[in-house]
Amino acid sequence: MSHYEAPIREPLVLGDKSYHDITEDIARPIEGKANKNWYMAFYISLAAMLWGFGCIFYTVGTGIGVWGLSKNIGWAWDITNFVWWVGIGHAGTLISAVLLLFRQKWRMAINRSAEAMTIFAVFQAGLFPIIHMGRPWNGYWVLPIPNQFGSLWVNFNSPLLWDVFAISTYLSVSLVFWWTGLLPDFATIRDRAVKPFQKKIYALVSFGWSGRAKDWQRFEEVSLVLAGLATPLVLSVHTIVSFDFATSINPGWHSTIFPPYFVAGAIFSGFAMVQTLLGIMRKVTNMEAYITRMHIEYMNIVIILTGGIVAVAYATEFFIAWYTGSPYEYYTYLSIGAETGPYGWAFWSLLICNIFTPQLLWIKKIRRSFIWSFIISIVINIGMWFERFDIIAIVLSKGHLPSTWWRFEPTFVDVGIFIGTIGFFFVLFLLYARTFPVIPIAEMKTILKSSGEGYKKRREQGIPTKPTVVLAEKKIIEVDSTDKKDKK
Amino acid sequence: MASNKKYWKSVEELKDSPIVETLSKNEFVEEIATDKFLGDKETLENSSTTRRDFLKYVGFTTAAASLAACEGPVKKSIPYVVKPNDTIPGVADWYASSMADGYDFANILVKTREGRPIQIMPNKEANGTTSARVQAAVLSLYDENLRLKEPTKNNEVIGWNQAEDEIKKALVSLKNANKPVVLLTGTLASPSTHKIIEEFVSAYPNVKHVIYDAVSENGVLEAMQAMHGKRALPNYHLDKAKTIVSFGADFLGDFHGGFEKSYINGRKPETGNMSYHVQFESNMSLTGANSDKRVVVKPSNQVYALLNLYKAITGESVSSKVTPVDAEIKKLATELKKAGSKGVVLTGLNDKNSQLVALAINKALNSEIIDTDNTLNIRQGNDAEVIQLVKDMKAGKVGGLLTYNIDPVYTLPNTADFSEGLKKVSLKVALSTDNNASVDAMEYALPTPHFLESWGDTQFDEVTYGLAQPTIQPLFNTRQFQDVLLNLTGNSTDYYEYLKTYATNTVLNGGSWNTALHNGFYKKEITNATIETNTETQESVLIANVASQLVRATKASAFELNLYTKTGLGDGKQANNPWLQEFPDPITRASWDNYLTISMADAKELDFSNPVKDNGAINGDYAKVSVNGQEVVVPVMIQPGQAKGSIGLALGFGKTFGLKEEMQVGVNAYPLYANMNNIQYNVSIEKVSGTHEFACTQVQKTIAGRHDILKVASLKEYNTVAPKDHHHGWNKPAYVSYDHQEVEANTIDIWDEHNRDMGHHFNLSIDLTSCTGCGACVIACHAENNVPVVGKKEVRVGRDMHWLRIDRYYSSEVETREDAKELGLGRGDMYKALETEAENPEVTFQPMMCQHCNHAPCETVCPVAATSHGRQGQNQMAYNRCVGTRYCANNCPYRVRRFNWFNYANNEEFDFNMNNEYGKMVLNPDVTVRSRGVMEKCSMCIQMTQATILKAKREGRAVNTDEFETACSSACTTGALVFGDINNKEDKVTALVEDKRAYNVLDYLQTKPNVIYQVKIKNTNEA
Repeated sequence: MSHYEAPIREPLVLGDKSYHDITEDIARPIEGKANKNWYMAFYISLAAMLWGFGCIFYTVGTGIGVWGLSKNIGWAWDITNFVWWVGIGHAGTLISAVLLLFRQKWRMAINRSAEAMTIFAVFQAGLFPIIHMGRPWNGYWVLPIPNQFGSLWVNFNSPLLWDVFAISTYLSVSLVFWWTGLLPDFATIRDRAVKPFQKKIYALVSFGWSGRAKDWQRFEEVSLVLAGLATPLVLSVHTIVSFDFATSINPGWHSTIFPPYFVAGAIFSGFAMVQTLLGIMRKVTNMEAYITRMHIEYMNIVIILTGGIVAVAYATEFFIAWYTGSPYEYYTYLSIGAETGPYGWAFWSLLICNIFTPQLLWIKKIRRSFIWSFIISIVINIGMWFERFDIIAIVLSKGHLPSTWWRFEPTFVDVGIFIGTIGFFFVLFLLYARTFPVIPIAEMKTILKSSGEGYKKRREQGIPTKPTVVLAEKKIIEVDSTDKKDKK
Repeated sequence: MASNKKYWKSVEELKDSPIVETLSKNEFVEEIATDKFLGDKETLENSSTTRRDFLKYVGFTTAAASLAACEGPVKKSIPYVVKPNDTIPGVADWYASSMADGYDFANILVKTREGRPIQIMPNKEANGTTSARVQAAVLSLYDENLRLKEPTKNNEVIGWNQAEDEIKKALVSLKNANKPVVLLTGTLASPSTHKIIEEFVSAYPNVKHVIYDAVSENGVLEAMQAMHGKRALPNYHLDKAKTIVSFGADFLGDFHGGFEKSYINGRKPETGNMSYHVQFESNMSLTGANSDKRVVVKPSNQVYALLNLYKAITGESVSSKVTPVDAEIKKLATELKKAGSKGVVLTGLNDKNSQLVALAINKALNSEIIDTDNTLNIRQGNDAEVIQLVKDMKAGKVGGLLTYNIDPVYTLPNTADFSEGLKKVSLKVALSTDNNASVDAMEYALPTPHFLESWGDTQFDEVTYGLAQPTIQPLFNTRQFQDVLLNLTGNSTDYYEYLKTYATNTVLNGGSWNTALHNGFYKKEITNATIETNTETQESVLIANVASQLVRATKASAFELNLYTKTGLGDGKQANNPWLQEFPDPITRASWDNYLTISMADAKELDFSNPVKDNGAINGDYAKVSVNGQEVVVPVMIQPGQAKGSIGLALGFGKTFGLKEEMQVGVNAYPLYANMNNIQYNVSIEKVSGTHEFACTQVQKTIAGRHDILKVASLKEYNTVAPKDHHHGWNKPAYVSYDHQEVEANTIDIWDEHNRDMGHHFNLSIDLTSCTGCGACVIACHAENNVPVVGKKEVRVGRDMHWLRIDRYYSSEVETREDAKELGLGRGDMYKALETEAENPEVTFQPMMCQHCNHAPCETVCPVAATSHGRQGQNQMAYNRCVGTRYCANNCPYRVRRFNWFNYANNEEFDFNMNNEYGKMVLNPDVTVRSRGVMEKCSMCIQMTQATILKAKREGRAVNTDEFETACSSACTTGALVFGDINNKEDKVTALVEDKRAYNVLDYLQTKPNVIYQVKIKNTNEA
């Protein structure tokens, strides 16, 4: 038994669950009826989404002038939201790809939802580069499509173009990776489905998964290959997003530490968002047995680590702005000038949310508390939004020429679109929670025996973990994917 | 000769064959076999149309019919059926003309395209200059809203002939009744018109011609009459001056029409000499902003200081009072005496006695700078006569009133008296280009053409005779004022013939009328006959008496009001002109408003503030200002450099009659303009409730220690210190570390240079010493490049579309970081000090437009390559390609890119000139009107450079030296903006690029701009 796990390790599956229990537990939200809470959440999200869409239509129909931008501040909430959502989209791939490569079994409880979150967040992120354009109907011009406009081609020097490639690559790889993982689980749902329509749909989305040994072998191989492919993307996407700023010449943007700092920040915010979502989801879908305190704690540790990197980056930025002695650097988003200026409140929001609050997680009690983790995760989400807002709005508000110093105030449309994307995100996530297995069923079973609470207890008490007594007559030979893989 | 020839088509026709006759009856030679196709009933019935076919046909025809019914937008484009000889579509025609609207006078060139005037430029051969208002006057031509279109009587349209007949009858009966009739006009400065008026008066001896200037310079005129026997404005040759002392005379603004050209000609540092200019004033004027030394003095003290200066210079003892600036005056007196005849004293105090003192000082100095011979005729208003007229009208003594192009109901301080008196006048005739409250109050409203539709002549000074000619067919049913007067006089010649005869016989001295008309002016020979000094009317002036009168009349009070005119609106004639309303004031950078300017100290005492709101805009409190019982409520703008105890308020705003709602901005200050005196004593102000929303284009007032943006040096430094001197250099370049060595930033490069060997390479040099901040270039750019007007609300939130703006920076008490270090300020305090403007700051103007960087930050970041570099050095913007990410604007360190937040053309929300058929006639057809969602910016007038190149090509020659121009460079009066091709070594700009004053803004960024600034040199050492 290579899946031996030290008994002092906390179990990853609580309670005395059997394989069948796992299937039942995870399939329940899909097969059962939604409760009142779900409907309430869904309708609120839907309303927010529709309001946001209304604001988007208004913007596209009237002009970007309905936002609070000006001649001196050309971006504000639009790109803030874009970077924020892209950042949130970071945790999914990290959890599913990097942790897979590092053989971290605890990822299994959260990777499905984290990836779903990634994909839905990237949808939201992708909206902004399109709607922030003055002429979004010409948005396809940023794609290198052979055309008849003359010799017009895209400008490969532009970081915005790199964004186009980075985001679309990230989205497609994440989607494929996610879907690949979903195939055996979709097949399970398909096989369990009683309604013919449901069966048809799940048959379709499971791509004819048959559960043959060959299927499993290929599944494992593809997962590994995709994990390998996706891992560099974790680093590349936010690196490239940070280039939007780092390659420019605005003091406060033009900073060489932006790529690693942005990646750390993205993971930071991504994990925070996973915490937020799982905090809700484990309650709503009754997954308390699978998403445990240990999961929360592990994620909090990642948050402390990445938050630490971010804090060091902030300190570096602040120090360098001070150390240069340049009047231009005096007003960057992390500087005394920002602190004493009109955006002092945003400066402090950033520091309090992102540097001070996460330090609470050093305390084990807080780190392992569901409610505290949930609260802190929301604070971090807010803080990371402020980080992007500060970088964009504060820097643009103090341009090179003092005559161009200006301020930004959002209009109801700015706010409406942001709320709309949050609504849209939750609409997608809530629909996902009702139609997708939110925890990988097949994968979960692979760790049940090694990390399930019931099995651990029995092992401890010397009770044989294989239920030979009951099943002896039925001659059910325990053959599951775990064993097969182990034999290899 | 009519042709009798008969043509025949065939021999048969010639021979009258019968076949011909048969054929002529039948259209076809052979019978058409219709029966064969349709007559056979059986086949027809056998043929079948399936249901599907039928539906297809029905479907197709319905679709086709409905498609055909969709009407495309109708665009009126009327080709020339008979092309006028001198009009080539696509080629501009330029006409020399003159502008004289009663307040602005200029020798101009008018650019017309396909018969539409689209731009006004100075006629430089005639030494003409244009201000922002002159530049913008072309848009007022197309003011569909305000222009009078038909002659009316009591608001009912009547024919011209009927109107003239009725008026003539009324005039005759008034003449017979010997009832006085007054012809009230503004300053005309037109010799032929004056002659016509003379003839009119001799035909109707009961008529009196009264000249009324809304903004009066009566004081100077009276003083000149008294001292030099001539009711005219003295001329000032400031280019020759060594020391200029001005007491509140805004001679770079509207004082005597402005002297910015000669002033700047006397301030060329490369000659090693510059005039030394001291300005004593209470308001921060454009002139004060440009002065070498600015002393803040409240108006009453200006009077005493002037007297003290007189005392110090002449040694005479006259009555005066002690002022806080007496030490300054003493020093100046020595300075002036040293300058002798090269010194000059000007004063903007509009009363006879102050002006007499100034004239006396100049006389004592034997000043060559003031010219009382070749005087200016551009202000002739007689305040006493106007005041008397209103009195007479009120007393019912006036039988008839004819007005021409004035609006006394709006501009008179005692407008109620005028309106009351008007009711007692039996014949009320207004001749006017624009509708206004006064025209509305009259019985007859007769439309006169705009000056761009008129013939005319002008005489601004004694030697330059200018001509005006129509540049467009009259848009409305108008008749010239002169024609109407000729008709009323009974003279049947039309004005054109009259003018031609007049000019040829009395002015041109045998010269050709066509040449004069072509040139737009004729320089008269200066003879004693032309410049006559009427010594008879000269009074003997005793300054001692004048001084005691002055001291008696000056009632120093806690607050003193100095009324002034703004660069944008002047006396308010063009208040309906959106370009001028949106034009930011050069000093405060506020558009769409006038306001009470108040000193920082007084604001603190009275609790006024100008907080910056979260959307970047400035708010203000309201103040109630009362002067001699007249009260107005105005928003307050705190003005650095305002004298404590003084307040300023601009005339020309608050006009409402007939104006579009958006244009009804500001407060009418004319009711405070008692006795047409720009200084009012006994003023009280109190804070009242309410918050005013200003629309300023700039919020931060100082340069915040960033002196690589704005370089200023003294003349002494310029003359003695090497510009790049490591310690004291006044034009130090940015240094960067390269290979562990400090090198000039501009010498290293991570980019490939553009190949500049071939063709043209355009550069624009901006001399900060010569730029007075007048803003004529801003309006020129508006007109040339179809820059949209966005309205007050949008300007307020920072969305003005000006491609060219003039940044204004105040100095702070602590000016540099080095100073702060010496003072021992910590970093926080240092920046706070650098960001806060001084109480009496020095002012610097910096025109800012696209810098056309050779390594442009905007070009690399555009994802669709919509902005890219041209071979001729221009950074080009392809509107069609732009998707509007605004990344370019964010990455532009100069923030000169402007985004089309909305559709500004054909949009009811932006109901300015681009939203009506007349207003659109001013658009330059060479420049696209941008749609919403695209970025735009200065193109270095690529349409103009291209036209120049094509013209040279067509003429088979190389482009001439200094032939390239941009709108801003040709509009610039002082020559601060010089445009040219640096690949042509002869071009003026080539030398300027290499000048020791030349620098690039933000050179540490290595953007390598094609716009070069010249360090501002101030003559601050002399005193």
